[in-house]
Formats: sequence, C-alpha cells, structure tokens
Amino acid sequence: MLRIEELDVFHGDLQALWHVSLTLDESKITTLIGSNGAGKSTTLYTMAGLLKPSNGSIVYRGERIDRLPAHRIVEMGISMVQEGRRLFREMTVADNLEMGAITKRARQAKEDTLEWIYEIFPVLEQRAGQRADTLSGGEQQMLAIGRSLMSKPDLLLVDELSLGLAPVVVEKISKILREINQAKKVGIFLVEQNVPLALELADKGYIIENGRIVGEGDAKALLKSEQVQKAYLGIAPESEAGT
Amino acid sequence: MEFAQFLTYGIINGSIYGLVAIGLALIMGIMGIFNIAQGSLAMIAAYGSFFLFRYAGLDPFLSLVFTIPALFVIGIFSYRTMFSFMSRFSPHQKLRNSLLVSFGLVLILENAATILWTANERTVTVSYSGKVLALGALRVPYIGLGAVALAVLVIFGLHLFLTRTTFGKSIWAIAQDEDSAALMGINVQRRTLIAFGLGVALAAVAGAIISLHTVSPTVGLDWTNKALILVVLAGVGSINGIFFSGLLLGLVEALSVYLVGVHYTGVVGLVIFLLVLMFRPQGLFGKKAGV
Amino acid sequence: MITRAKIISVVLLLGLGAVPLASGNEYVLNMCCMLFLYITLSQSWNILGGYAGQVNVGQAAFFGVGALATRLLWTAGVPLYVSIGAGGLASVLLAVIIGLPALRLKGHYFAIGTLAVAWIARITVGNVLPGISFLPTRQMATYSLVPRYYIFFAVMMGALLTIYFVVNSRTGLGMEATRDDEDAAQTAGVDIFKYKVIAFLISSFFAGLAGACFGYFHASYYWHLPFSLMWCFEPILIVFIGGVGTFAGPIAGSVCYVLLKEAFALTLGEMNVLIFGIVFILTILFFPKGIIGLPSTLREFFRKGRRPTLAAGAADDR
Repeated sequence: MLRIEELDVFHGDLQALWHVSLTLDESKITTLIGSNGAGKSTTLYTMAGLLKPSNGSIVYRGERIDRLPAHRIVEMGISMVQEGRRLFREMTVADNLEMGAITKRARQAKEDTLEWIYEIFPVLEQRAGQRADTLSGGEQQMLAIGRSLMSKPDLLLVDELSLGLAPVVVEKISKILREINQAKKVGIFLVEQNVPLALELADKGYIIENGRIVGEGDAKALLKSEQVQKAYLGIAPESEAGT
Repeated sequence: MEFAQFLTYGIINGSIYGLVAIGLALIMGIMGIFNIAQGSLAMIAAYGSFFLFRYAGLDPFLSLVFTIPALFVIGIFSYRTMFSFMSRFSPHQKLRNSLLVSFGLVLILENAATILWTANERTVTVSYSGKVLALGALRVPYIGLGAVALAVLVIFGLHLFLTRTTFGKSIWAIAQDEDSAALMGINVQRRTLIAFGLGVALAAVAGAIISLHTVSPTVGLDWTNKALILVVLAGVGSINGIFFSGLLLGLVEALSVYLVGVHYTGVVGLVIFLLVLMFRPQGLFGKKAGV
Repeated sequence: MITRAKIISVVLLLGLGAVPLASGNEYVLNMCCMLFLYITLSQSWNILGGYAGQVNVGQAAFFGVGALATRLLWTAGVPLYVSIGAGGLASVLLAVIIGLPALRLKGHYFAIGTLAVAWIARITVGNVLPGISFLPTRQMATYSLVPRYYIFFAVMMGALLTIYFVVNSRTGLGMEATRDDEDAAQTAGVDIFKYKVIAFLISSFFAGLAGACFGYFHASYYWHLPFSLMWCFEPILIVFIGGVGTFAGPIAGSVCYVLLKEAFALTLGEMNVLIFGIVFILTILFFPKGIIGLPSTLREFFRKGRRPTLAAGAADDR
C-alpha cells in the first residue's frame, strides 16, 4: 500500500533520518518502535507531508506523495493523529470533529462517519458541546483519533498513542484501534515508545534507532526476539545465563 | 444633557475606530502579521468611495459594493507579494519583518495617493450629512448611526463567521494550530491568503465612513494608531472585544474632551494603551487566542 | 590586532576629518552632517534592536527629546557643549522612566509600546509647541557649517567607539545571547534584563545626542519635527539595509540611504518616496541580511536555490 524508500530527512542542517525504507501493507497494523528521539515522529510527519525529504521517495498506492502538500495527502486518504493530541483547544468537541471532515471525500460521508465515531467513542457524544481543553487526557486522545477518522482515511498514522495516558485508558483505546482496523479495514501505522503495547497490537513491526531502521519483521516474532528483549524490554536472553 | 451628547459622540467615534480595527484584529490575530498599513489601506478605500460619489453619485455606504471587493483583491495581491514568505517564521521574526514591510507599504500608498490625488483634504457630503435624529434632547447624526450599525454588523458578523461557519472555523483552526489544521486537509496557504484579503477588505468598510469624515493621503497612520490601541485593549485574537474596546476608547476620549478640552484626546488613548500593555497585556476582553 | 580593515578605517577617518578644510562646499558639508547623524542614530538603534534583539519602534521619542532639550537650552544661552550633553542625558532620563518598565514586555508588546510612546511624544509636542523654533539673531549671525560638521563627527565617533567596544566585549555577548534565545540564556545564567537595560541606555544616550546635534544644526524647524515617526522607521530601515546585528551594517546602510535618498530626490521628483518604499520592501524580501550579509545571502541562494531567511531566531519547530 505504502512504500518508503531510502528516505533522508533533515531538520535544518541536522540529519534525522538516514536511508529509511519501509513497507506498509493494505489494511494491516504496522508499528515503528524505537526510543525517544530516534526519528519516529519525523517519519510520520514526512509521510503526512509536513516535512519534505531531501532524498528518497514515498509511494502510496502507486503515486508519489513525498512532494505533495499536507492537505493533498489527507485528500488521498492518509490521516495523522499527532503526539500530544494537538486538538483545537478553544473549539468544542463537535467543532473539532467537524474540522476533521473538511476534505471533499470526508464531507460526503460526514453524517455517517460522525455516527460511527460516536458509537465507538460514546463519551465524545456526551461531551459534544464542551471545549476540547476541558476533556481528560484519554478523552482528548479519543477525540484526536475521532477527528482524524472523520477524514475517512484508508491509512491512519498514530504518533505515540500511550504518551501521558493511564495504562487502563491505553488498553481501551488500543482495543478500539484494533476494532477500527478490522471493521473498516483502515490500515494503521503506529509509532510507539511502549514496545509491548505496540508489538501486541501490530501485525508487522520495524525498529528504528538513531534515524536508521535496524530491524523488521512479524510483530509477535519481534516481541520474542533477542534484539527487542534486550534493547527495549531489558530482559537478558536465557542462553547467556546458561553459559 | 450636554454630557449625554458627548457620550453619544463617544459611541459613534468608538464604532468608527472599531471598523478600522477589525481588519487589523483579524490579520494580527490569525496570522500574527503586524500591518501598520491598515489605516492607509482604509484611506485608499475612502478615496475610492469619494471618487465613486463624485463621478457616479454613489452614496458611500453603497460604494462598498465596489470598494470591498477591490480591497479584497489588493489584500490578496499584497499578501502574495509581500507577506506570504513570512508564514513559516517565528513570531519574533514575523513581527519585525511585517512591521517593516507594512511600513514600506505605507510609504508607497501615501505617496501614490499624494501624486494621484494631491495632499488636499476631501470629504463626501451627502444629502444627510449634518442631519440628525432627535431623541429627546439628544442629537444623533445619521452618519453616526450608520457607523454604529455597520460596526455592530461587521464585528459581530465576523465573530459569527469565525465561530459558526465551517470555512470561518477552519480559519480559526489555523490560528490555533497551523500544522494540525494542515493535517485536517485544510489548505492552509490558500485560506490564510483569503483571510488576509478579508482583513484588508474590512478596511474598506472603515474607508466609507472615513470618506464622510475627512480623507487625505496621510490620515492612514492616525487611524492605524487607533486600530492598534483597540487590538491591544481587546487582546490580540479577540474579535468581539474590538467592539467593546472601541466603545471604551470612544467614551474615554469623549470624557476627556468634556473635562480637559480637545487637544489631548490622542494622548489619552495612548496612555490607556500603555497602561493596559503594562498591567494586562493579554487585553481586557480576550484570553489567549480567543475569538 | 592591527588588521587591514582597521588601517583603512583610520585613514578614512582622518580623511573625513580633513574634509571641511579641503572643501568649503556647503552641499558636501551638509550631506556629511546628515550622514554622520544617520550613522549615529542607526547605530543607536542597532545596539538595542540588532544586538539585544529588542525591536524599539519609538526611537523618535529619544531623538526628539534630545533635540528639544538641546534647542531649549542652547537658544536660551546655555553653552553649546553643555546643551548637547544635556540632550543626551534628557534622552537617557526618558529611557529610565519609560524604557525600564517597557523592557518587561515581550517582543510584540515592546515594539507596540515604544511606538505608542513616540506617538504620545509627537502629539504632545505638536500640541504644546505647535510653531517653529528660530535661532536667535546672535546665533544666526555666527552660523557656520564647519563647527557643526565637527560636532556631528565627534558624536558619531563617540558612538562608534563606544558601541564597538561594547559589542566586542562580554556585554556584547550577553546581549546577543538575549537576542538569540531568551529562555536558553536565562537558563544558562545570563541576566537578560541587565543586558536589555544596558543596551537601552546606550541606545537612548546616542539617540539623544543625535537629536542634540539636530537641534544644534537647523536654523529653524517645527518643534515637532524631530518627533516625527519617520525618525522611528528610518534607523530601522537603515540597519536593515546595512545588515542587522552587525557593526558595519548601520554604517553601510547610512551611506546607502543618504546617497539613495539624494539620488532619488534629484532624479525622480515627486515619485521618490514611492520608489523608495518599493526598494525598501524589496530589500526586506530579498536581502534580509542587508549589504553586509550580501555574500552570505548569495551563497545560500546558489546553494539551496531558495529565498534566504533571517538567521537570528529562525525556529525549526519540529
């Protein structure tokens, strides 16, 4: 569905991504894990069109999108949920959701999509008239996801789902994401620091370190792999203990 | 009763200030662009109204049909050529650059006007200039009524536009978080352009009233002065607040004329402005990017 | 360290010092006085705006107060040097009263606030002293451009030397740190308020001295003229043309400005200010680093093929 090849991205004079290549499959959940500052958000922002790569390409369903402005990319069916929610804080829940449905593709199905969003996130309907900044962290995350879903994406990019949220809430939202993926066949690309969460949710995973991809594979396999266990879960492999 | 008459004039003046300020409030609030040329743009529109009256007999209020679109176009053109390059700048850089560029624009507009139309003062005198509506012992000039009505219409209308229409809300969204807005599929560049054009078009409304008052090439900066005071009083980003700040300034000035005479009205406004800046820089009516 | 630049500067200065002796041409002397004035005024703006990063849009208030004090004192018979010194001090006094509280304002608000101060000054003086200030006969009879030339020259030299030393000292570094990133500077232990104050005091002092020269220079002028808003924007423009935040910037900019203004006035007639406005805007759009920064602007243009941006404060937010 989406293929990134040899992507180099700079922040000013500093190189953040080096020859990054990944492939996302249609309607699957893929995750990119790595520690803080490894380049995860940069990857998403570049895919969403807010950053432009200096080298490499991003091809979505056959079309190159790396030179397109962000709003065009949304029209093509890719929507991003930013880290830290970044809602329109002074606007109401309903207004935020409405803002998600600006593109033509979204406008046509606005009523139906809204109904569905309220189904999966009932609390949003309850708080529809409230200002976005009066919501709790978890509710804000739901609003952010709901808002991005309003644009009817085929691919949802999620940046740091778990940041600042209680584990219970994260679990809940995580389940909802899976539901969305299965019910509506929306592909999800999740960027996460919380490794177990990410790899449990995803079908496929990539590992990024210092701006370079250093591992990839089936998510469950990665979870059990030595590389992940040692680097991200702090678990020493059994073979070493035995020697 | 004389006092009440002063207050009436205060309200009328305040409304006129509000009309000049509203465009600036939009531009500064949404885009963070410091447009000192706002008053000078109103001046150009005022000349437009003046000439439309002189050569086509068109009442200034009706001339708006032409001057508003004309200024919209000028606004779009100006943004494209002179301000769009600042869109990714930090607030500090935007301030400095827009301050200077808009000052350059003031120079151009004032001098073009002087060359084309001489430095003489012009006024539009319509059939109802000087006529008043008598409310008891109060004399309310019809033109003044028109100004107040326009101010209410335009200011609250803009507020409704920004908070009730989808397009308006998208602009409000851009003001709150430009990147998020882009991620919604909002064409930020195009809408910012339109918002700027709108801000300049609003100056045309002030221009019509100004033409009924006095126009000359150099009136621009004085009006911008008032507009700036209102924007700070209201709080950068507040739209409804512009109306109330206008009333406040108009009334305070009227009071000072009543008490101290007419020579220092300008200073009174500026002193209040400085006080607000010192002690309540977020303005009297707005919260941070409130609309 | 004796560098080539320094040798050239010294030679230039000696040359300038000799001008009135070589040529008594009034036009030339006049132009030079204006040049020295603008150099002083723009340097005064630059230390606060270019080095300390506080954009002061009200320099006219300080310039005007200097002119006012000097004019009042000198036409009343106070000795010249005292009057001129008083001009500088009056301006510093204004800075202390108004400026210190104003410095607590951030960015936007400081700019708007200083503009308001200048505006108030302009209106007040325009109302209180609406007429023209004439030189009394005694001083008219002995009017000569030569002493005026030297006083302007001396004031300019004073400004250049002072500012040169400040800028190249730790104080200068402190100012630049404040300009580049206030929060970072504060965290690093830099007393940003102190540096803003120092910059402001130096700025107002020399603006006042420049105003004092103005008050000394003209035979007659409207009292409110030195308070005109043009004096707010001209130094900013000049510094921009020359190169903000550089020492040579205001000098290069002033030379350019004075020559350009004269050239336009002579050749373009009534269109000169309009063309000027256009040139002004073009400079900001395409040469934000000014004349001094021209090599670097061109280099960036050829390297990245895109329009240059001002380096100071350019935030890359992701």
